[in-house]
Amino acid sequence: MIKHHPKFELIQSFVNGDLPASLSAAITIHANICTSCQSKITQLTEHVAEASFEQGIDQHISTGNLAENNVKKECVSDVDQSLDEVNDFDFDDMIATITQCADIDEIQPSIEKTVEFKNKIYALPKVLNNIEFSRTAQIGKLARTRLMLDEDEIHTNLLHIEPGGSVPEHTHKGFELTLLLEGSFSDENGEYVKGDFIMLDGSHKHHPVSNEGCLCYTVANDALHFTQGINKLLNPIGSFIY
Amino acid sequence: MQTNLLSNVVDDKSSSMQNKINHPELCQWLKAVAISRDKAAFTHLFKFFAPKIKGIARRKFPNETQANEVVQETMSNVWRKAHLFDENKGAATTWVYTVMRNVTFDILRKMKSNKEDMLSDDIWPIAESAGNDDEETFVDHLENQQLLNGIEQLPEAQQQVVKGFYLMEMSQEQLATHLNLPLGTIKSRLRLALAKLKVQLGENHD
Repeated sequence: MIKHHPKFELIQSFVNGDLPASLSAAITIHANICTSCQSKITQLTEHVAEASFEQGIDQHISTGNLAENNVKKECVSDVDQSLDEVNDFDFDDMIATITQCADIDEIQPSIEKTVEFKNKIYALPKVLNNIEFSRTAQIGKLARTRLMLDEDEIHTNLLHIEPGGSVPEHTHKGFELTLLLEGSFSDENGEYVKGDFIMLDGSHKHHPVSNEGCLCYTVANDALHFTQGINKLLNPIGSFIY
Repeated sequence: MQTNLLSNVVDDKSSSMQNKINHPELCQWLKAVAISRDKAAFTHLFKFFAPKIKGIARRKFPNETQANEVVQETMSNVWRKAHLFDENKGAATTWVYTVMRNVTFDILRKMKSNKEDMLSDDIWPIAESAGNDDEETFVDHLENQQLLNGIEQLPEAQQQVVKGFYLMEMSQEQLATHLNLPLGTIKSRLRLALAKLKVQLGENHD
């Protein structure tokens, strides 16, 4: 059973469209497996949509936090101004241009995208269909394929651990998200299963071990940092996985 | 095109002071666009949504041209994709919000990462993608799905070869190296698998 879910704040930013593609895709993958997060997202989207399109624009996104409220107040004059501009804005012209187009957009059928590690082919979640992958690189029982999302310091990988493999004890300066796609692994905090959404930051140290092997979707914004004795020599693996 | 109804919605200050959204009306307009390409209905939708979309876009984009691009792109998608709206799955406002958020996300991503991969519709689908919804699938997609199901029914060894060759576009030589098998074995597995698939699809077509 899935025990680890994205925090509410993360779901909120996801619904607002404020997260990078890497984390947005992770939440989509999780929500397609986890019905309780899916229904939270559906409800919140409905709520935010309603609030966005209510007449009084300054009430937009009532779920915002305090900081956002302050920004909102500062923005009010801007918005008033933009409303004035909106009135001058040539609607009829834009409407005419848009409605000239006779075509309709059909949904393209999606082909199942797969990835292969150690002669095993894994079907991947649909949300990854249009993301470019790098070639696979391997060190010992770990293999990874980069997702070419070009999000600066945020790196996204598919990480494959062969049965009996592990990642030495490490911590992170930034955050590390591990989303389990297939198989299972465990660390000091217990056993993780398919769909678990595990978000760690610099305050966590862990040492994941996978007895049966697993495939994970990982997002990190800094290299892993190995903490234990001889494993410090392994710090190149930290940048390999990042 | 100005109609009386329109002026009630947009121009009349007293009605715009009310915060209630008339959901059934929005729904009807969207359906009219979907079914009969109704320009008057689209104009109503435009006058309702466009000013608000512009206000929201102004918070995410520094300049007016970009905000206008969001309005144009969002409303243009509403015009071209209205048939994908399903009132049983949610309100019209939720659907238009999704379209707007997706347009915004792709434009921002293009600006920041210089990537034009348009991932938003994969992250937040505008409609249930054809694979899950039997009634809404299109003929060619149905065949596609049958083909994929057919592949799933093949023995594991043949599946590997078919998926590698057709879905991952690996060459027979690459497959041989990858799977550590003689090239002849790859070829014969592929031939066997295709013969099986033909029989399966043929049966389904009768």
